Amino acid sequence: MTTLDPGSAPLSPAATVEGVVDWVEALSMPGPRQDDAHRQLHALMLRAARRQVQRMQPVLNGVGTQLVEEIANQAADEAMMTLLGKLGTFEGRSRFTTWAYKFAVLQAATAVRSVAWRDRDVHLDGLDLLAGDDPQPGQYAEASDLADAVRSALDSELSPHQRRIMVALVVDDVPIDVLAERLGTTRNALYKALHDARKRLRAHLRRTGHLDDIDTQAGIR
Amino acid sequence: MNQRNRQLGPETLGRLTLDTEPWLSCDDCFDQVDQYVERVFGRGPVGMPAMAAHLAGCPACAEEAGTLVLLAAEDAGTDPGPALDRLFGPVRR
Repeated sequence: MTTLDPGSAPLSPAATVEGVVDWVEALSMPGPRQDDAHRQLHALMLRAARRQVQRMQPVLNGVGTQLVEEIANQAADEAMMTLLGKLGTFEGRSRFTTWAYKFAVLQAATAVRSVAWRDRDVHLDGLDLLAGDDPQPGQYAEASDLADAVRSALDSELSPHQRRIMVALVVDDVPIDVLAERLGTTRNALYKALHDARKRLRAHLRRTGHLDDIDTQAGIR
Repeated sequence: MNQRNRQLGPETLGRLTLDTEPWLSCDDCFDQVDQYVERVFGRGPVGMPAMAAHLAGCPACAEEAGTLVLLAAEDAGTDPGPALDRLFGPVRR
């Protein structure tokens, strides 16, 4: 459904092309209406990009407001180009604005992570995994046992590639798109490696009897 | 090659061993996230378990979905809190 009427959820003033909006139609037909729709769509993209950048402000330590605004504007521009190229794929399963926002959000988030990590090394070396910080008396043995079980599983059940990916993404919290760029691969490929690695770990830890304890500690059980 | 020490606490152990079935790729997550976000604003079952599993296991996608919830809530003039709570599904939160 690409047509919204005034009785549906309100659009922000910047998003309203006419009282009744058909974004796809307005953006597709050359002429003044298309020009107006482009302007309003860009305003939406910029709003979404700014929102994403604002949420990620803590990782942009030391980055000036001018660069922050540049990030948002560039993300909005790139997102708009991507969206217009995919306009024909909008199927009306959500509001057009919700569908549109995601292009700007993705672009902005990726840009912020790239800036935040531009001067940081990503280590894919081997590592020793220890038990958690500051264990309470009596808790150390259990915590150490679980950490040892996971470490053992990481060594025995995963390929070297899976292990490096998993440690980088989950232990070192390297953003997936940053790691993808450093490794010359894709976000999809890395998430697939992570997903498969988790399956292998879970299967192994289930066999060794550790999985329930880990799930309990993590608050899943 | 350098060997670096890491500390493994309960939260990290949980994230290493998270159950992220059923499978959904990041690309498919992007394709469906707008639909999913609008569902979490409703009161009925959200459905789309693969989306919930993916967002629980992929911090980048989860972060982006969270912003989408905030934007949609602003458009509708509603509180995003309940929708954000429903974003990751019932089991993993």
